[in-house]
Formats: sequence, C-alpha cells, structure tokens
Amino acid sequence: MQKLKLNHTVISFLPILLFLPITYQIINDFHIGGLQLFLDFVKAAFTPKINNQIINISITRLNETLFIAFISWLISIIFGCFLGIITSDIFYKLIRIPVLVKYILKIILNIIRSIHELIWCVILIQIFGINISIGILAICLPFIAINAKVISEQLELVSADLIESITTLNGNNFSSLIILIWSPIIKTLKNFGFYRLECSIRSTAILGLFGIGGIGTSIFLSFQALNFNEMWTYIFSISSLILFFKLILKQVKIKRINSNFILLIICISILIIFYSIYFVINLLINNYYLSNLLLSKNIFLNFINLPDNYLKSIFDTVILSVLSSGIAISVPPFLLLISQNKYFIIILRFLAFIIRTIPPTIIILILLMFNEPSLSLAAITLGFYNAGITFKLLNDNLSEIDRNNYLAFKSIGLSNRSSWLIGLFIKQSKSYLSYCAYRSDIIFRETAIVSIVGSIGLGWQLKESLSSFAWNEVFIIVFSYSSIAIIGELLNDKIKSRLI
Amino acid sequence: MKSLIELNNISFEYNNNKILKNINLEIKEGEKIALIGKSGAGKTTLISILNGTKSQTYGDIKIFGKNFNNLYNSHKRKIGTIWQDLRLIDDLSAEQNVNCGLLSNQNLIFTFKNLLNLSTFYKAHQCMELCQLNSGIYSKNLKNMSGGQKQRIAISRSIIQEPEILFADEPFNNLDPKLCDYLKNLFISRLNNYKIKFPNTILFSLHKIELIDGFTRVIGLKNGEISLDISRDELRDFHLKNIY
Repeated sequence: MQKLKLNHTVISFLPILLFLPITYQIINDFHIGGLQLFLDFVKAAFTPKINNQIINISITRLNETLFIAFISWLISIIFGCFLGIITSDIFYKLIRIPVLVKYILKIILNIIRSIHELIWCVILIQIFGINISIGILAICLPFIAINAKVISEQLELVSADLIESITTLNGNNFSSLIILIWSPIIKTLKNFGFYRLECSIRSTAILGLFGIGGIGTSIFLSFQALNFNEMWTYIFSISSLILFFKLILKQVKIKRINSNFILLIICISILIIFYSIYFVINLLINNYYLSNLLLSKNIFLNFINLPDNYLKSIFDTVILSVLSSGIAISVPPFLLLISQNKYFIIILRFLAFIIRTIPPTIIILILLMFNEPSLSLAAITLGFYNAGITFKLLNDNLSEIDRNNYLAFKSIGLSNRSSWLIGLFIKQSKSYLSYCAYRSDIIFRETAIVSIVGSIGLGWQLKESLSSFAWNEVFIIVFSYSSIAIIGELLNDKIKSRLI
Repeated sequence: MKSLIELNNISFEYNNNKILKNINLEIKEGEKIALIGKSGAGKTTLISILNGTKSQTYGDIKIFGKNFNNLYNSHKRKIGTIWQDLRLIDDLSAEQNVNCGLLSNQNLIFTFKNLLNLSTFYKAHQCMELCQLNSGIYSKNLKNMSGGQKQRIAISRSIIQEPEILFADEPFNNLDPKLCDYLKNLFISRLNNYKIKFPNTILFSLHKIELIDGFTRVIGLKNGEISLDISRDELRDFHLKNIY
C-alpha cells in the first residue's frame, strides 16, 4: 500500500475531520429550549433598534471604548518599545549591562504575555474593583509584552555587518545604539502600531462584557435583558467603528514623519512613562486588600491544595485549543474551495467580518440557548471566531498572488475547484500554515474567553476560584495557563521555523 | 616617520582554512598604501584585522604603539574604514548617513538632532559636495539611490570623521573612471576648499590597477601571504603578473 504523504496543502485541510466528533457531540447535546430565543436573536439582526436615545448611548459608549483602547494602546506601545529595546541582543552588544538582565526580563515578559488580558482583567477587578483604569491596566499588561517581543524581534534583524560598521566609528555607545535601532523601530511602529490599536479596540469590547465600560458593557447588558434589537445596534456600531478605522488606515500612508511630531511623541512618551509608573505604585501601595493578601496568605507556596478537577481542566483547555485551532485552520480553505463563485465569496467575507466583530463571549451565550455547555461548543465558538480572522488573511493573500497558474490549469480543462487548489492555494499553503501556527498561540490564550462563560477548562475553574477568593487556586491556575501557553509557543516556534 | 601600525606574524584561520599566513607589516605615518591581490587573497580580512573588527588567530598587532584591546577610544576615533559592502543605513537619508561619521566626536543630542533633522549640517554637505554628490539627494532616502551615489555617501561618511588612518576596501567600486581618479587624487593630495582634514595615512584595497598611481607603497597579497611590498616607483609589470 502506498504511504500517505502529507504536504502543506493536505495539512491545511486535514483538521476538517475534527468536525466529525464535534458535530456528533453538538447534535447529541442539542435541545430546542432556547430555539425561539435564538430565532429572535437572528431576526433582531435585521431590525436593530434605532432612536435618538440608543444613538446617544452608542456614541457615548463608543467614546469610552475608544478612550480605553487608545490609552491602553499608547501606554503599551511606549513601554513595549522601551522593553523591546532592552530585551534585544543589540542593546547588550553596545551597552555594558550583564546579559542576565535580558534573560530575566524576557522570562517575566513571556509570563505576562502568556496570560490573556481577560484573565488579567478578572483578577485585577477582584483585587482593585471595577473601573476604567483597571481595564486599561489589564489590556496594557499583555500588550506591552507582545509589543516588546515584536520590537525585540525586529531589532534582531539589524545585520551584524551594520552593527560592526557603526561600532567602528567609535562613537558614544548610546548614540550608536540609537542610530542602529531608529529605523527598525519607526518601521515597525508604522507597519504594526496601528494594527495594535485595532487589537486594543477589540480587547476593550471583550473586557467591556466583564464590566470595565465601553460598548462591550452595553452589549452584555442588553443581551442579559434579552433586548436583542438594542444589542445588534451596539454590535453594528462597534463593527462600523472598526470598519471605519480600517478604511482610514488604508488611506493613510505615512511616507515621512515630521521631526517635530516625533519630538512631541518622545516628550509625551516620557510623561506617560512617569505617570504610569506613579499610577501603578500608587495603586499597589494604597490597596490594603492586596497588601493583606500578599502578607497574610502564603499563596505562592500552597501547591498542595489543588483545585477540584484541576487536571481535567488542563486537559480540557489543551483539547479546546487544539480543536479551535483545527477549525480556524481548515474552515477558510475548505469554504473557499467549495465556493468558487464571486457572490458566494462576498457573502463569506461579510460573514467572516461579522463573526470577527461579535465578541466570542456573546457567540457562546447564543449557542448555549439550544445546546448544553460542552468542549465542542466552546471549540466551535473559538474556532469560528478565529476562522473569521484566518479567512480574511487567506482571502487577501490569494487575491494578491499571480493567477497565471490558475488560468493555465483552467485552460487545459481542469474544474474551477481543482484549478484553485493546485493553481492558487498550493502556493499559499505554506505561509498560511505558518500564520496559523502563530494564530494557535493566540487561540490558546483566548480559550480563557470562552471557557470562563462556557463552563469548561481552566477559565471556568479560575472564575470559580476567584469568586470564592481561593487565591492559592487562582495562583495555580494562572501559573498553569502561563506554563501551557509558553510550552505551546515553543512548539509552535519549532513548527514555524520548519515551515519558513 | 613615526610607525603607526605593526603586524607581527599575523595569521587568521576560519573553519580550519588559513586565510592569512604570517603577515609582517609596518605602516608608517603619511604612507599611502595600495593593497592589491586576486579575489580571495585575504585583502578584506587584513583590513578587518587592522580596524579591529576581526581578531587574528595568531600574532600580535600594535596600533599607535598599543595592543588593539588596550587602545583608548581617543585612539580608535583616529581610525576610519570604508567597507566594500558600504554598510550604510538604508532607511536614513544621505545626509543622516554621512553624519554618522561624526558619532565619535559628538554626544547623544547630536544623534537625535541628526535623526530628527533638527538642524542644517553644513559639514556633511561639504563632504558630499567634495564627493560630487548633487545637493538634491542630501535629504533623500538611500533606498532609491544608485550604487555610485551610495559609494560616494560611504566615502563622505569616512571623510567627515577626519580620521588619521583610513582603511578602505575597494572604495572606488561603482564609480566611473573620471570620478575614481578625482576621488583618489583627493585622498592623495588632501587639498580641499573646506579645510576638511583628510587622513594622512591610507591603506586602500584596489582591484583597478590603473588607480595605484599616486600611492607611495604597494603591497600584494597572494594566497594569504604578502608576496609583494615595494614602493610605487619600483613597481614593474612582472610584479603584477606574479600577483594576478
């Protein structure tokens, strides 16, 4: 028998088989208890509530969302840049500081990054109470670490020859460092900085569902009141905001940045750095609950009292991220393969946009109307939410590549689907899988979003432990989340390096 | 004449290949040395050892009478290099790249001023003008420039540094014969309208043999060894045939 040979194209489609067990479980758990409610929810999408009051609330809430997102973005970019520089190799080549500092900082940043902003949010809310600044802090923590990683990776690309040539000029070490890092940082901020603002808006909307304010809070409140028409108004308004934002970004092409503007940004950055440090120190010193917590309980060492079903929760979380990644990888190429029609693709693009915009927390709550909470349900939610993102990427990349092969195959009589597969997709499959490997890191962190609501995995366990103030359990769960995320990231790095 | 550089039994190995073998060399103040040899003879490696970016496997170097590791920054600032691959920063403008040559004499504020274009840098303009660069390209990004323009920017960067010794690896690549001649004469005569101090001692690796006129000494490398070390006046055709 001939041995099955796996290539990138096959691997992109293979995870579609995961739908067999998932569909089986979903059909098994199906009930019609909330079917009417679901139909109301779908119908409401076509009749969103529009009146002066709702429009005013939407605008106020969008302003709040933008405020939180913008401030979080600004702080995370500033600190991200700073930490990115001091965790890059180039810094230690030029400035005489022990390299140990870099390793310690990298470990701390990896741990902070491995924990999703939602987990930071629920923990910080429990300690400091609900307010906008806590939301900003929760978004900033992982975002700073993400930005630092990106900046530091970009700085690693500065060639050794260039470093050598600048160092032989024998200037002040700081001057040499600034000359070498200036362009890569400006370039990264131009290409990646605005995308992070979009991420910040999405995260603010998700955290809003947990009470930090903004449009997310309104979406959640109207959902709780089963006021779906109102909820759709809010969903459409945040979608419009993101769409509007994207359109502006497409139009704005920064060729040369005015030097006075950069100078102003540097001054603002310095002010923000000092204010942020003051804010965090003030928050830590003046919070008696936190001081009592850290002093009175030995939360870091009490590993004996593991939470109930601890190992099962870990297992569920890992399986959830594997299933969701499988869906996110295989659904977009599968749908594009079967829909070789211009209009169908337009509909798919619209659906992908909507699914990216509705917070996964809301999606899972909708699905729970006619299904039991299960691993499959959570996987479907998270998988499709991320498939919305991978679909966009794949579709955009496919529309940019040369179609000559596709046309050549069509001209010799191959069907549209076969020509698409071997004339177009095959070229993209490697880079698509490489992006999916990166995406699966994010999916693992996002399991927190669905598992907190969907009664599954570590997220749910965290919510239980937090509500009973079992801080040793909270610590163990966060530690587990972080460890699994870091292991997953290391594995994905290996996969990515093999693919690239 | 004062001895500036002394190389005693210098060897350099890379992946068990001997790139340089027992190089003994003394460079005196004011010498204009042309380094010649076939591709792969070890010219670039020798220059990298001289400017301290590569360390010799065996042997001993003395620059300004000191071991390279014991050199003060004030000494290192007197050494300039023009690299074969130029090593300019593509995302910066011509003017900003040239100003990088001043890093050794300026502080951090100057670096920021340079990157933010906060003042007019007349000296950089003068150096570029000396290299016959059109003023229209001073503020242009390097990405869209020709090889010849980039070559002259790299030369300007070394001129603005005003080093005492200049090592240059194929500094006249990408330039037309007229420009090659003009720039070579600039380095040999050191005369210019702007009173910019040109290096007194130079060691240029050259592929174009016709450019060695004007140099005082010719050193030929063959298979990693010095096979020729004579004054320009003594150089004959058979010497060159032996090298190439």
